[in-house]
Amino acid sequence: MKIVIATSITPFVEGGSTYIVDWLGKKLEACGHEVDILRFPFSEDHAEVLQQLLAFRLLDLSEHGDRLISIRWPSHLLRHPKKVVWFIHHYRSAYDLWGTEYQSIPNTPEGIALRDAVIAADNVGLCEAYRVFCNSSVVKDRLEKFNSVDAEVLYPPLLSPELFYSAGSGDYLLYLGRLTRHKRQWLAIESLRLTTSRVRLVIAGQPEPGSEFYAEELQGLVTRNGLESRVEILARWIPEDEKRSLFANCLAVVYFPLDEDSYGYISLEACAASKPLLTTTDAGGVNELIIDGANGFVTPPDPELIAHGMDDLYNDRDAAREMGEAGQERIAELGINWARVLQRLLS
Amino acid sequence: MRIAVLNNCVPFLRGGAEHLAEALTLKLAEYGHSAVLVRVPFRWHPSRHVGEHMLACRLMKLPNIDRAIALKFPAYYVPQANKVVWLLHQFRQAYDLLGTAEGLSENSEGRETREMVVQADNSYLPEARKIFANSHITAERLNRYNHLQATVLYPPLLRHDHFTCAEYGDYVLVPGRINEAKRQRLIVEAVHHCKSNVKVVVAGSPERLEDAKTIRSLIGNDDRVLFINRFISEDEKVELFSHALACAYLPYDEDSYGYVTLESYFSKKPVITCTDSGGIGLLVKDEITGLVVPPDPLRLALAMDRLFDDKVRARRMGEAGCELVESMNITWDHVIESLTK
Repeated sequence: MKIVIATSITPFVEGGSTYIVDWLGKKLEACGHEVDILRFPFSEDHAEVLQQLLAFRLLDLSEHGDRLISIRWPSHLLRHPKKVVWFIHHYRSAYDLWGTEYQSIPNTPEGIALRDAVIAADNVGLCEAYRVFCNSSVVKDRLEKFNSVDAEVLYPPLLSPELFYSAGSGDYLLYLGRLTRHKRQWLAIESLRLTTSRVRLVIAGQPEPGSEFYAEELQGLVTRNGLESRVEILARWIPEDEKRSLFANCLAVVYFPLDEDSYGYISLEACAASKPLLTTTDAGGVNELIIDGANGFVTPPDPELIAHGMDDLYNDRDAAREMGEAGQERIAELGINWARVLQRLLS
Repeated sequence: MRIAVLNNCVPFLRGGAEHLAEALTLKLAEYGHSAVLVRVPFRWHPSRHVGEHMLACRLMKLPNIDRAIALKFPAYYVPQANKVVWLLHQFRQAYDLLGTAEGLSENSEGRETREMVVQADNSYLPEARKIFANSHITAERLNRYNHLQATVLYPPLLRHDHFTCAEYGDYVLVPGRINEAKRQRLIVEAVHHCKSNVKVVVAGSPERLEDAKTIRSLIGNDDRVLFINRFISEDEKVELFSHALACAYLPYDEDSYGYVTLESYFSKKPVITCTDSGGIGLLVKDEITGLVVPPDPLRLALAMDRLFDDKVRARRMGEAGCELVESMNITWDHVIESLTK
């Protein structure tokens, strides 16, 4: 089959939404399909959103490829007779973040008109699609609630989970990922401060462009609390083999984002490396993957309760190892694999 | 600098422009910039789609970008405060091809589209800090139709140091994508008229199935023609050039000199081309770096026979071609400096 994959990007920013596209392209090619990936720069600035929606709508791909797979918003507005949308998130300011402190669209008549236009455009792009998939139950519920669209959850797998391994249980918890405020690495430091065991913490990842201050704040928090010997911050790009080694040697993985749409690749990587994952009840999509007490711990976002979880993992290594090994089963149970993804997207 | 290279695209199709856009993006990174290639789909048939895609480009945004380098219509309409245009070509259907079979139709829709394209070029191309063109033909056209000045900036090969010359063998090489406009058929027709034992190797993937069929039926049972009907890897191409007697490149009215010409000269092989091939004439000087003949199989046959019968001459022309290219500053140093100044 000839397949066009379309997505939007912020140039030079890598993350979950760029990996899902790159990896899907590779997997489709490995299965003998001819793939062309179109990556359109997109500005998130609400003042520029509407005109860009129109730009996407005007581009006509209807003569190219047997199928269009649209990934990141608003590539679902592109025109194609056999368009399959794998929806990974809304323009949330117009949806669930409307009326919260995270709403970026102003609450003015113009802002309300913009919000309504975004919703109307989404309804058009989604309703005309041949099929609509999404990457998590959170997104599925939102599509149903706001757009009355019935989407099928299709969990995105890792490119090569088999490359991850465990080299036994070390003495440190790993928080890997971009350094940005809503990932709440600070909550991990605040919690570690309250532990009674000698468990350590390694925070690793690149500061998000524009969030360079945040990395310094984290270091400041460590220093202020005299945790220099127990917390290590690697504020830089982590190469793949170093990353796998960090996973292999850790005790457990911690992940405390605020209300993420999907589970995040770090959760899959923890499972692939047979490590338990410690997360919070308000983390969002990761709660679809981690079951408290089975393949990790899910606690309220309270430093004291998190600290208990950290100590438990450190003090009972056998239990930690068992929970880590349960991760793979959970992935199989949810059907997170490429064979299924390709089968569904091309059905 | 964080740079966006803007090109248009037809999904799944790759030709010279796509190759150049990718090479430029790679080279910008090699010279220490962050570069991203932005490919904007373009549909021009029927002509009502032209305006939609022009508008789409105008509405696009480029966050996180310090400079745009735009190559083609309509991608060069994408607004960016610090944009340079390296013009490969405008929408020729609205300019020099108007009135030909490939141009816009002479009906009201065609006329309106033409008017819109010319207006938009006149209004938006001057937004660029500077306009470069890939050939003097592109630059002249921009000047004639839009009264805009462009500096000629020749596109180099991605790399050329791997091309070699092992011998002056017995075949004329015809490399590249096979289609009607590249006129590979002329050389196949010509070989039937050759008096010497010169052979021909046609190597490349056809644009459409019919293009391959045409070539195959013209070859018939003539075992002097070898048809390698598929995409040729870089290594294979280097090898084919290395053992060739000469190269034939006969497109109809091309704007620029073509990568094939550069590859041939870096392999020290003379180039046979036609009087109506356009920009190739910049590098192919008749009797000095190759042979320029009318698009006539009999004359092409004569040219092939001459090179086959006088390989010393063939070598001298190939070497002269290489010297000419090296004297013209067709280098990435020059290109990157010009586009990022």
